[in-house]
Amino acid sequence: MKKKLLSVLLAGAMVFSLTACGDGDSQSSSDSASSDKQTDTTESSSGDASGDTASSDTASGDTASDPTNGELVDGKFTETRKITVEVYNRENDGGSDPTNNKYTQYIKDKMMELHNVEVEFVSVPRWTEVEQINNLLAAGDAPDICLTYDFATIQTYANMGGVLNLSSYVDDYKDLLPNMWEWLGETNIYCDKDPENGNLWAIEGKLAVTNRINTFVRKDWLDTLGLSEPTTRQEFEDMLIAFRDNADKLLGADADKLIPFSVSYDVGWRAALLIESFIDPDISDYEFYVNGFDDRKLTQNGTKEAVRLLNKWYNDGLMWDDFALYGSGDTTEDDMMKAGYVGAFMHNWDYPYRNGEDSIQSNLERLVGPDAAYVAVDCFEDSKGTHNKFVNGTTGDRKIFFPSTNDEPLACMLYLDFISTPETIEYLQIGDEGITHNKLEDGAIEIVAATGDDIQNSGFNIDYTITCNGLKLVDPEVTAKSTAHSYSGIDTALIEKANTIANTDARPSKPVNVGEITSAEGQGEALAKKRDVLLDTAVSAPVADFDSVWDSAMADYMSSGGQAIADERAEKWKATFGDATMLP
Amino acid sequence: MKASKQNAVNTKAPVPQNKQSTGVYLKRYWQLYALLALPMLYLLVFKYIPMVYIQIAFKKYSIIQSVWEMPWAANNGFEYFIKAFNNKDFINALRNTLVLNLMDLIIGFPIPIIFALILNELVFKKFKRVVQTIAYMPHFLSWIIIYGLALQLFAPSTGFVNMILTGLGFETVPFLNDSSHWRWTYIFLGVWQSFGWNSIVYLAAIAGINSELYEAASVDGAGRFKKMWHITLPGIKSTIVVLLVMNLGNILGSGFDRPFALQNNLVMDVAEVLSTFIYKYGIKSLQFSMTTAVGLFQSLVCVIFLLLANWISRRLGERGIW
Repeated sequence: MKKKLLSVLLAGAMVFSLTACGDGDSQSSSDSASSDKQTDTTESSSGDASGDTASSDTASGDTASDPTNGELVDGKFTETRKITVEVYNRENDGGSDPTNNKYTQYIKDKMMELHNVEVEFVSVPRWTEVEQINNLLAAGDAPDICLTYDFATIQTYANMGGVLNLSSYVDDYKDLLPNMWEWLGETNIYCDKDPENGNLWAIEGKLAVTNRINTFVRKDWLDTLGLSEPTTRQEFEDMLIAFRDNADKLLGADADKLIPFSVSYDVGWRAALLIESFIDPDISDYEFYVNGFDDRKLTQNGTKEAVRLLNKWYNDGLMWDDFALYGSGDTTEDDMMKAGYVGAFMHNWDYPYRNGEDSIQSNLERLVGPDAAYVAVDCFEDSKGTHNKFVNGTTGDRKIFFPSTNDEPLACMLYLDFISTPETIEYLQIGDEGITHNKLEDGAIEIVAATGDDIQNSGFNIDYTITCNGLKLVDPEVTAKSTAHSYSGIDTALIEKANTIANTDARPSKPVNVGEITSAEGQGEALAKKRDVLLDTAVSAPVADFDSVWDSAMADYMSSGGQAIADERAEKWKATFGDATMLP
Repeated sequence: MKASKQNAVNTKAPVPQNKQSTGVYLKRYWQLYALLALPMLYLLVFKYIPMVYIQIAFKKYSIIQSVWEMPWAANNGFEYFIKAFNNKDFINALRNTLVLNLMDLIIGFPIPIIFALILNELVFKKFKRVVQTIAYMPHFLSWIIIYGLALQLFAPSTGFVNMILTGLGFETVPFLNDSSHWRWTYIFLGVWQSFGWNSIVYLAAIAGINSELYEAASVDGAGRFKKMWHITLPGIKSTIVVLLVMNLGNILGSGFDRPFALQNNLVMDVAEVLSTFIYKYGIKSLQFSMTTAVGLFQSLVCVIFLLLANWISRRLGERGIW
């Protein structure tokens, strides 16, 4: 009996799956012509829908010159509206609930008071944000205000009809959004506007600080060995060799744990300054753009030679052997820095000083001694002897988009306006006086490490100030004075030095907008993973095999989509700018 | 197909003849069917209804439309199958899945059998029980934990095993960061994790063998190995065959957590398997249609293998799984 039942079930499953396939065949072959029509109708109907809203807006605008149709009285909705906002969850030790704490309460209260809008936060894990948003969008549960760092991802959602077109909202409601327009300006608001059809799928948050990456070395080790800070690539290499050869002197019993230069699996980011120093400083905007799909500059001319040098260092025992074995978000490498085993590394311009008590620098002082310090150095010269650092302009940070399930676009635009207000940004960044900051005599703000409900889960609460990344106080003079004081427990001289070096020869990239690059759709993650694999295997290959490993992996990268994207970028550039090789 | 025809004949025949006896039968056993209802509901809701979405392999996926509204894909709906087979990463993942699963089968399949045989020969019952418990404990560890352990043991510079090796004057062994070594590490960890658990079935089968057979063999002067070879192994042969058939049915399948947790950037050329490929291209890169096509292809191949293996086992005079 059991056997029979099982066989019936299995047979049923087979038949079911076969018919499913069969249906697919027959219908698609007979309907292949009409399927096109079907898409047409769905597209046009959605087009109509958006046209309707637009026309109703303009109509009401004509009659009462009020784009909101009388929904707002004194900036407040007559009936309470409800919106949901994405916030990253970083799961810090001792952190607070990112959806419910002192700062979210501040935002909620203010939004209710100013606009009669109820705000609810939806937390998304920081390190798997893209996957989480995919799932939420597919389930129709995405927050009304979403953000991500990758515009290609948003474009993919938009092509599926999953994203609201913001172009009419930013323009029609312009008078209602003075703070947003004031802070972001046309540069950031129109940054991703499609030049052909005017679609605007996302608004770019603004970088208040454009500093990007610095190189850090152990100052106390240099002193112990009687070395001065490296100023050239060669001196940097000599320093690494000195660290390696004097491991006994520097770490004693732990000598075998010493790592002269540390990178993570993300070599392109963690050796960025070295890689960029191999790029021709006179590179044209055209070449930089066409080869610039990969944000780690994998396909720029020069990167291969930079990685060849890393490969040499790796094989000379100057780098961390296990760098490729630990994934994103793993703290092993940070822990080694904190424990004092790492001689040099590259990272965000203020990386060792972030996170107050738990910063790398504070841990180092506790575990190794008060003299131990990571200090920023500027030692990767390019072919002209300058220290070119390719930094983003004010764009290139988080992109904010509204999924098509958002039925409160106006309330959400008002939220963006509120979150861009100078006073809001200042409060979220520095909190209350005496608790999270002190005023110094010269008027500068000094950040104090907080605990409990006052704790900021992200530096300057960047996760809440979604339109602003980097310290930005109401008074720009105070901001300038405060930067060095905004890292609690860290010697201000270290910050000032890091800040100066990060700004030396900084080269802001100019945003290029030539319309959608269709061949890039759905390729971002797959190619980024390929890039990491390529860089990791190339760095750790035997020196003699470097060329063959690099060339074959690069050929694979290009044929898996890299070449198609470069070609389309070249083509679209020509269509937009003609033969010009520099941006206007 | 043959099987289903047979069934059709079987089920059709008795019904009109003994309507009454069916009623009696149902009246007597309805509780058993009621017990079955919940699991069947589970299967229906979580395994069958989601199959409606298999269609997206043949349709242009949209994140907001219902599956019935999505337009059909190009090339008679087979656009995404063509795309997948033109994708080098897919071919590579297919190869890796086959290689790793075959290695798993060849090495991992006999080990629980041997372990069960050896365990069965142990005289001290308590010792046997302790060994058995320890052996199947790793089964309850998640692969993330196992990878953590593997890193502590096998990492090139900080791994315990490599530290011992270098301490003894040997070279470090790239257990995790060299492609060919990684394959063996992957197989070894898989065997370590599952052999104890998998041996339970065989131990149960061995326990079911009539002990008179052993006594008779002893009288005839058979030694331990003779008894193992002529009584125990034939006694559990049908169990072995059933499990082999089921394993063959899974030749293109693979769990997600094991390869995903164990792989790293240096060994992706051998470590990328279909399940991680689907995750990377489907979930992370939003190419849901193509990865559904890959998943469907994977399932079809698995079904074919299952049917084939079952057919062969029946031809060889075994019961098979149905």
